[in-house]
Amino acid sequence: MTTITLRNLRKEFDDVVAVNGVDLTVRDGEFLVVVGPSGCGKSTTLRLLAGLETATDGEIRMDDRDVTGTEPKERNVAMVFQNYALYPHMTGRRNITFGMNATDSFTDEEIDRRVAEAAETLDITDLLDRKPQAMSGGERQRVALGRAIVRDPDAFLMDEPLSNLDAKLRIQMRAELTRLHAELGTTTVYVTHDQTEAMTLGEWVVVMDDGEIQQVDPPQALYDFPENRFVAEFIGDPAMNMIDVAVEGGVAVHDAFRIPLPTGETGDGKAIENGTPAESFADPDAGNRRNAVLGVRPEDLHPARDRPDLGETTFDATVDVTEPLGDSLLVHCSVGDATFKMGAEPRSSLEPGETVSVTYDPERLHLFEPETGEAFYHSATAPVTSDRLERVAND
Amino acid sequence: MSTREIFDGRLEAALLLAPTLLVSVVFLYYPTALAFRTSLFDAGFGRAEEFVGLENYLTLLESSAYHRSVAISVLFAALVVVGTITVSLYLTFLIHEVDDGQGWYLISVIWPYALPPAVAALVFLFILHPTLGVLTGPIEAVGFDVDWFNDGPQAFLVVLLVAIWKQIGYNVIFMIAAMKDVPDALTETAELDGVGRLRRLVSVYVPIMTPTLFFLVIINTIYAFFGTFAFVDLLTSGGPANATNVLIFDLYREGFSFFNFGVASTKSVVLFLVVAVLMVIQFRLTEEYSYYGA
Repeated sequence: MTTITLRNLRKEFDDVVAVNGVDLTVRDGEFLVVVGPSGCGKSTTLRLLAGLETATDGEIRMDDRDVTGTEPKERNVAMVFQNYALYPHMTGRRNITFGMNATDSFTDEEIDRRVAEAAETLDITDLLDRKPQAMSGGERQRVALGRAIVRDPDAFLMDEPLSNLDAKLRIQMRAELTRLHAELGTTTVYVTHDQTEAMTLGEWVVVMDDGEIQQVDPPQALYDFPENRFVAEFIGDPAMNMIDVAVEGGVAVHDAFRIPLPTGETGDGKAIENGTPAESFADPDAGNRRNAVLGVRPEDLHPARDRPDLGETTFDATVDVTEPLGDSLLVHCSVGDATFKMGAEPRSSLEPGETVSVTYDPERLHLFEPETGEAFYHSATAPVTSDRLERVAND
Repeated sequence: MSTREIFDGRLEAALLLAPTLLVSVVFLYYPTALAFRTSLFDAGFGRAEEFVGLENYLTLLESSAYHRSVAISVLFAALVVVGTITVSLYLTFLIHEVDDGQGWYLISVIWPYALPPAVAALVFLFILHPTLGVLTGPIEAVGFDVDWFNDGPQAFLVVLLVAIWKQIGYNVIFMIAAMKDVPDALTETAELDGVGRLRRLVSVYVPIMTPTLFFLVIINTIYAFFGTFAFVDLLTSGGPANATNVLIFDLYREGFSFFNFGVASTKSVVLFLVVAVLMVIQFRLTEEYSYYGA
């Protein structure tokens, strides 16, 4: 049971800044997922945590211990790697016990007992006498997990452990990891580039880009209230539509449409009262008109005929391409100089070239600063939980 | 793929193979056949060749001096192989573990391999000469009497040292490549588990490197039997009292000092057989213990 605290953590490789001033608290027993594109510094952050890289600057604490400069073995963490990192010449059992045998801090009976327990938990008893070559990817990763849990470490560090598995197995292992965490309750930091994995596994999700943390939130909050364009476009598949608009008197204005902005909240969480949005959006330099980027998720846009309940404001767009996804039909549309994607009923008869009347969910609109990409308006109000407030205060 | 023919004419194929075949036949197969033939004759300078059947072989079978030479050679080869592999492996590990200046360490370790054997032998002669050697003084200062011109075991040790020293570079080149092939994640897992460095070398790296180590055992064995001639010739000439009279030097002397071409050929055939048998044993053993992993 360990709380991990990162303070202003930096890592530079020659002139490349991989991790740029990360502040983060991983709370005791939490399953925290760090997600971001390749090269965003997520793996480096994890390796700094493990002690496999040395921090250029900043501090890493585990509970009250400052572990910033200590050797990996002093930290009592276990790591699970993408390529499993099983010793290829050892059996499953030897793989699991090798580390424990090497340190002399466990008796033989203790080791046997722990291996039996871990094997039971992970259902790998029949893999113990096989070598990795004779195991499938999923089995190997299970043995690797066994090696991690058998030492009863203070924290699990997982570096894309499911990325080498096929899609079906990945979903199965995802559920298994959730179960395992519920059972063991060990603080876990899980790194992935897969936003679906991040959303499904994480109690809290950290989105990183360019070596910096973009947002820390529970999965749904991340999805509903992205703090900037990067998060908005990274989380969610297909990605959020981004359309350049101007905001005038509480209305998002585009050449081809005008969308009134309902009551909501500003990017920093302040509520915007109905009827007075104009002032809230005011740009000191440009009076009551300001440029913005309107963000709407494809599933929040609909053909008007499918969703008459969403209100009377519609606009006309041209269908460019349709992609049947089975459970829905993804429609690529263009309106004026802008293009966007829209979710339609799976068996809608929409043809390329056709003009379609589009409606939207007024609860799910976002506005971003064109230059900085910061969100300054969400049409829904984020639920304020004490948990969230606490985290914001801590980090 | 396997059935794809790049050249359609047989003539083309034959022409392309010809240089290799020619060199192999002229310098390899023909001399081998000739040596085997000569081993059945009593032959020497200015003497008419006389067919003697297996008499030369019987002579060697009964010669205690030759038996001793075989024993010395096998012991010498075993020590060269074990010594070279052990020292090279440890040096490779040190170089592998070091963060800065890896290139310089590698160059300094590989350097001896670039020296011609004769030069290496002369260098060691100057270093360890019983009266003039640079290191002789310091060694004698700690109470050890350097006298390998007269002391058999000491002479054996000196030749052994030079032979190992000379072969380290070659081994390190292969070992560093093999060690770098060990996935980083395995090293990191071991570090996280608190596995000690030496234990990591022995229990993680060495098993994964076995195919390379196996190859090096074979190469080093061949080197120990055939490639160490210059050291013996220049340092000890097989002495003192035949203490360093390894097979390759012995047969050279038989042929080109005593001009007994027949017996010398017999000795080379026997040497070939000894090495061939050792190779077979090594292949059997290492095949069993080698890990060819994914």
